[in-house]
Amino acid sequence: MTEAPSSTSSSRAGPIRRDWLAKSLAGVFAGFTFAMGCSGLLLAALGSFPPPLRAQFAMWLVVPVWLGVLASCFATRSGLRAWLWLGGGNLAVYALLAILHRL
Amino acid sequence: MRADLIRLYKTLHTWTGIIAGLALFIAFYAGALTVFKEPLARWVAPPVTTLSVPLADTPALIARTLAAQPTAARDFQITLNPDAANPQRLTWQDHPGHGEEHDSLGAHHYAATLAADGSARIETTQPSQLTELIDILHRVVGLPFDNDITRAVMGVICMLYSLALVSGVILVLPTLARDFFAMRISPNLKRMWMDTHNVVGLISLPFHIVMAITAVVFAYHDGIYALQNKLFHNGNLSATWAGAKAQHTPPRNPADLLPPTELLSRSHGIAPDFVPTSLQYVQVLGPRPTVRIWGHDDSSLSPRAMGGFVALDPYSGKVLSTDFLPGRQSAANTTLASFFALHFGTFGGSVVSAMYFLLALAGAWLFYSGNLLWIESRRKGGRKANQKGINKEGQQSPPTATQRRDVRALANATVGVCLGCVAGISLTIVAGRWLYGHVTDLNAWHWYVYYAVFLASIAWAFWRGTARAAVELLWFATAVTLAIPLTSLACMLGLLPGPWALTDASGVDFTAFGGALALAWMARATTQRVRHGEAGSIWSALPEEAKAGKKPGA
Repeated sequence: MTEAPSSTSSSRAGPIRRDWLAKSLAGVFAGFTFAMGCSGLLLAALGSFPPPLRAQFAMWLVVPVWLGVLASCFATRSGLRAWLWLGGGNLAVYALLAILHRL
Repeated sequence: MRADLIRLYKTLHTWTGIIAGLALFIAFYAGALTVFKEPLARWVAPPVTTLSVPLADTPALIARTLAAQPTAARDFQITLNPDAANPQRLTWQDHPGHGEEHDSLGAHHYAATLAADGSARIETTQPSQLTELIDILHRVVGLPFDNDITRAVMGVICMLYSLALVSGVILVLPTLARDFFAMRISPNLKRMWMDTHNVVGLISLPFHIVMAITAVVFAYHDGIYALQNKLFHNGNLSATWAGAKAQHTPPRNPADLLPPTELLSRSHGIAPDFVPTSLQYVQVLGPRPTVRIWGHDDSSLSPRAMGGFVALDPYSGKVLSTDFLPGRQSAANTTLASFFALHFGTFGGSVVSAMYFLLALAGAWLFYSGNLLWIESRRKGGRKANQKGINKEGQQSPPTATQRRDVRALANATVGVCLGCVAGISLTIVAGRWLYGHVTDLNAWHWYVYYAVFLASIAWAFWRGTARAAVELLWFATAVTLAIPLTSLACMLGLLPGPWALTDASGVDFTAFGGALALAWMARATTQRVRHGEAGSIWSALPEEAKAGKKPGA
């Protein structure tokens, strides 16, 4: 933990842009679709569970993932990066789901 | 950790806290009281004067009630130990209109008893909705209705709350080792409030994480299920819940229902530690008749706020499901049930209830103190900005006067909303006994009293200014909270006319007395600070002109 002023501490990576709107929207919307995708993967992983239990676990997974992603979004260096990270995450999750669906 | 990252999360913490803080105060204060929903319901309900139908006569009561009123077969309840709050043996409700299940206030309540000639006598009842009012304030952060819109608002508030939690933790992490338990009791009051805010927040962090996640789930689960149904369940989710298709069955005769005593002995055979409280009969004339034996088991966690249940076939006594029976659930069901139990504090009996009560009050205090810290730092920032022309962020500061008006408004709102909520709930509890028999719709009056006090307190705070209103509203809250045990005292002495004459004091009275003492202590401390505190503080009762007069020299 360095207490250096922001101008030197951020010399390598550039300052963290605040981008409140872009980061919030990324967390709320792309974060939600990402969390939904994760719940789809959980449903696939819990294939041997009784259906009502799988459905409940999948529902409960969405919110913690969503909130976790939303809070982490603000740690990205810019709003654009938040969208890129989450876009990539969404792509990966839904691609995996599509592959599982084909199998 | 990078300093600019921490500053970013500090801004996030500040603004999410400011936007959501007041709503969360109400949610947590009312939530603390819902822990003691049942004692509160007994406190406000008139003592039972008539005897309820004996359990042995219940089969006849059920058969004749269903013959007279077949719609009751959809869902009715047998109370095993009728008390003041639930005096009737057989009750049911219907929800006129659009049948919104969360709309507990619009329901019509019915009860059936056996007349002298053995026929069923059906009457409408008006059970007190005081505890429902407090629960609604809790569920939808102080708004007067629980519907899709207010639940969505609550969900947004809780998402902001989760952001405030994460960012708050990030803020204290760098100095955690040094500052944890560092309570600097010093003349610097702001430092002391900050330390207390941090230590209370960190100690109750697990509780808050649970609350943030479960509350967002409670707000949005319908929508999430609906989307998952489309995306992953091919629209078959409702079939998943319904389970196996019902077999075709001949028409049911309520006279064939097993007597409640027989059903209870079956449940005792399955779970001896399980203490049944009521029997909920669902669709007893339909193809899949079920009776849910609801109850508690303090040695295990309860899957729902009102306990857990074992589901039996009411005709054969066959066990249909132990998925919701405390202590008899599968590992997966126990895990799911624990999410609910962790929110409602329905595990570990009265020790955990008391703990949840205190944690929720501590949570309410956290939001109150958070707002006060914002106000204090804004005030200082404003003064510095006045001298240097810049504020901490190094940006051009807005004119000091407007900033001060913002600060004053938030300070007034904080005092008015928080103390108005406390006083409003106390007074509406008291009103339950004093207005009984004097007004036709007592349940509506509970709302009138609460909102009258709540809105008047906010108006008072804006009219009188923070410092004076804080003292006055604290004394007012003390008085109306003290009125709870005093009302009971009046009942014990026979001074309050009406059905409560000579009733005993209860835990509600002792808790309210303790609460009144705490409020009185706060009122005294605030009086001190208002009289002797720093002149520039929002807590100073010095006249505006005096403050304005000092400013140029400062």
